[in-house]
Amino acid sequence: MSATPTIASDLTARRAEPEARAAGLLGHFEYAGYARAEPPILQPAEPFLDLSGEDIRRRMYLTSDPDGRELCLRPDLTIPVARDYLASAAAGSAAAFCYLGPVFRHREDAPNEFLQAGIESFGRRDSAAADAEVLALALETTAHYGLAAPEIRLGDVGLFAALLGAIDLPAAWKRRLVKDFNRAETLDEDLDRLVLDAAAHPEYQGVLAALAGADRQGARALVADLLSIAGITAVGGRSVAEIAERFLDQAALGNGSRLPQEARELIRRFLGVTGEPDEAAATLRRLAADAAIDMEAAIDLFETRAGFLAARGLDVGAIRFSTRYGRSLDYYTGLVFELHDPGRPGEPHLVAGGRYDGMLSRLGSPAPIPAVGFAAWIERLEQVGGAA
Amino acid sequence: MSASLLIGVPSKGRLQEQAQAFFARAGLRLVQPRGGREYRGSIEGLDVDIAYLSAAEITAQLAQGMLHFGVTGEDLVRERIDNAESRVVLLAPLGFGHANVVVAVPQAWIDVRSMADLDDVATAYHARHDRKMRVATKYVSLARDFFSRHGITDYRIVESLGATEGAPAAGTAELIVDITTTGGTLAANALKVVDDGVILRSQANLVAARAMAWSEAARGTARRMLDRIAARERAERFHEVRTRFPGCNDELLAEARERFGVVPPFGGPTSSGMLTLHCPPGHVYELAELLRTRGAEAVSVIELGYVFTNENPLYAKLEDALK
Repeated sequence: MSATPTIASDLTARRAEPEARAAGLLGHFEYAGYARAEPPILQPAEPFLDLSGEDIRRRMYLTSDPDGRELCLRPDLTIPVARDYLASAAAGSAAAFCYLGPVFRHREDAPNEFLQAGIESFGRRDSAAADAEVLALALETTAHYGLAAPEIRLGDVGLFAALLGAIDLPAAWKRRLVKDFNRAETLDEDLDRLVLDAAAHPEYQGVLAALAGADRQGARALVADLLSIAGITAVGGRSVAEIAERFLDQAALGNGSRLPQEARELIRRFLGVTGEPDEAAATLRRLAADAAIDMEAAIDLFETRAGFLAARGLDVGAIRFSTRYGRSLDYYTGLVFELHDPGRPGEPHLVAGGRYDGMLSRLGSPAPIPAVGFAAWIERLEQVGGAA
Repeated sequence: MSASLLIGVPSKGRLQEQAQAFFARAGLRLVQPRGGREYRGSIEGLDVDIAYLSAAEITAQLAQGMLHFGVTGEDLVRERIDNAESRVVLLAPLGFGHANVVVAVPQAWIDVRSMADLDDVATAYHARHDRKMRVATKYVSLARDFFSRHGITDYRIVESLGATEGAPAAGTAELIVDITTTGGTLAANALKVVDDGVILRSQANLVAARAMAWSEAARGTARRMLDRIAARERAERFHEVRTRFPGCNDELLAEARERFGVVPPFGGPTSSGMLTLHCPPGHVYELAELLRTRGAEAVSVIELGYVFTNENPLYAKLEDALK
C-alpha cells in the first residue's frame, strides 16, 4: 500500500469490493454444482425479439453484420446461456449453469450497461425439487449481499393454466383471460368489466349462431365458400378456415358478451388465494372440489415443491404466495418468484425467476426441455449494502 | 449561411408547390436565384435563406438543430424524432399534405373490426402458427406505440422498404401500418382500415427546431415572418361585415357574438350605430339576415386579405418553446 494513494489505486480499490462480492457469489453457485457459462456478448437479435416482444426491441442495441444478419448486444443472459446449451452435446440432458456478466438495455435514468448474475437448470425431470433448489440459491444470493430475510413473492402460473384448462369456456374467453393474467395485476377487479366484442353485424348473428349450433362443420364450410365467391382468398397468413372458425365463434358469443357468472365467481375465488403455501394448497383443493374440476396435478406439484422448500430448512411460513403473481413474459409455465428488500418497499426486485418449460422449444429444441432459473440484479443488490 | 433565419422547404412535387403557395398567400414570395444553385433560395423582403430538401432530410435536420424552421409532415416528425416534443415544436398545421397513418388488415378478415379483435387474433395466430403475426410498416415507432397502447404484444414488426400495401399478398406480413390519403391503394390491395385503427391524422406543419441557435436577429426575422402568416391565417377565418343603423347596439352585438362567433375588431357600435364585425364565413348569411331584421338597410361583406393584430399567437408559441 503506497503512502500517497493515486487516483488509479483509489478507483481500483473502490471497484474491487463489488467485483469481489460478485465473484464470491459465483463461486458459491459453482460450489453448488452450477458450471460457469460465458456466452458471447454479441448475439442474434431474433430469439430476443421472438420471445420478448416489440417492447424490448425499443430498448435493445441492434446492429447487423455485412450479410444482413440482425445482431444485438445481449439484453439478458438467460437466452444466450440457453442457446449455447442447445448447441452443445449436453442438449436434452440435465445440466446446470451459472453466469455473471454485463447486459445491455437502453434506459432513461440508469446505466445502459449493467451486471447480471444468475443460474439456469435445464433438463431435470424432478421439477418440484429443481424449483426448490433454485429458490434456495436465490435466497442465498440475497444473503450474500447482507439481506438475510428478503420479502419472498411466490406464484405458480401453472395453477391458473390448470384452472382454465379444467373449466368450460369459449376459446376466445380463455385467450383473453390468459392475456390479462399475464399483463394486468388487477385481473380480479376487471372480471366484472371484462367484455368480449363480436365483430359480426348484429343483424345476422342469430342466423350464424343457429347455423353453428346445428352443424359446425357445415357452417364453417359455408362461410369459407362465401368468402371465395366474394373473390377473397387467403391473403396473409390466416387461412379461410381460421377466419371462418373465429367468425362463427364470435357469432356464438354474441355482442358485448360478459364472462359467464359461474366462471367469474370461480376465477375471483381463485385469485383471492394468498398467504402461506400450505394453507393455499388446502384452499385450492377445496375450491377445485366445490367446483367439481380437476386440478390435482398442478396442486400436487405445488405442495411437493413447498415440501422440498421446508426440507431445505426454509421458513415456508415466511413466503408470501399469491395466485395473482405472474410474469409479463409469456414463456413462464410454473413457479414464478421475486425477492424484494423489505426495507425499501416500492423498489424493484433484487432477484426474479421461475420455471419456463416452453422456452427451449421456442429457441428451437425439437422436444420440450424443462428449464428453471433466476436472474440477480447486481446494481440493486449492491445498494442493499454490507458484504456478507 | 448568410441570412439570420434558415428554413427547410420540400424540394419537389406537390409538397413543394403547396408550400410555395402557402407562403405566397401570406405575402412571402419564395425566390430562387436565377442560374443559381437549385437547392438554395430566399424570401423576398425577409432576411431568410431557404434550403430545398426532401421532407425526410428536413425532419432530420430539425431534430439536429440545423434549421430554424421546416415544412414537413407530422407523420415524419412523430416517427423519426425520438421524444419529438422536446426537440421540435409543431407551430402550425398548414392545411395540405393530409394523410392518415392507419392499421390495415386484409378485407378477408371479416372477423376483425377493432383493435381489440386484432389483439385476440394475434394471440390465436401465435398459438396456431408457432410464430407471431407480422406487421409490415415504415412507421416502426408509431406502430409500436399504438399497438402497445392497445395492449397488443403478440406481434412482430417487419420493416418495409417499398410498397408496404403489397406485403400481405406477397406473404411477407399478415397486416400493415401505412399512410393513406384516399384509401384507394388499400382497397386495390384488398385491405381495410381497422375501425379504431387510425394512428395519426397527419398534415404538413410549420415546425421549429429548439436546438438551433436562435439569435436576436433570427427571432426578429421569425417574428416578422410569423406575423404575416398569422395575419393571413386570421384573415382566412373571417369575412368582414359592415353596417350602420340606429338599432345597432351592444345587445345586438352580444347576440351576434353568441350565435355566430363574431368578433368586433374595432370596438362596439358607435353612437350612430356604425359597426364592423369579423364573422366566420359559414355564418355570414345568417348574420346579415339578423341585422336586416333588426333594421339594417344594407349589410356589406368583404373577404379579408390580412388581419394584423398586436397579439401573435404563432410567435408566442415559438417564444414559449424556446425558453
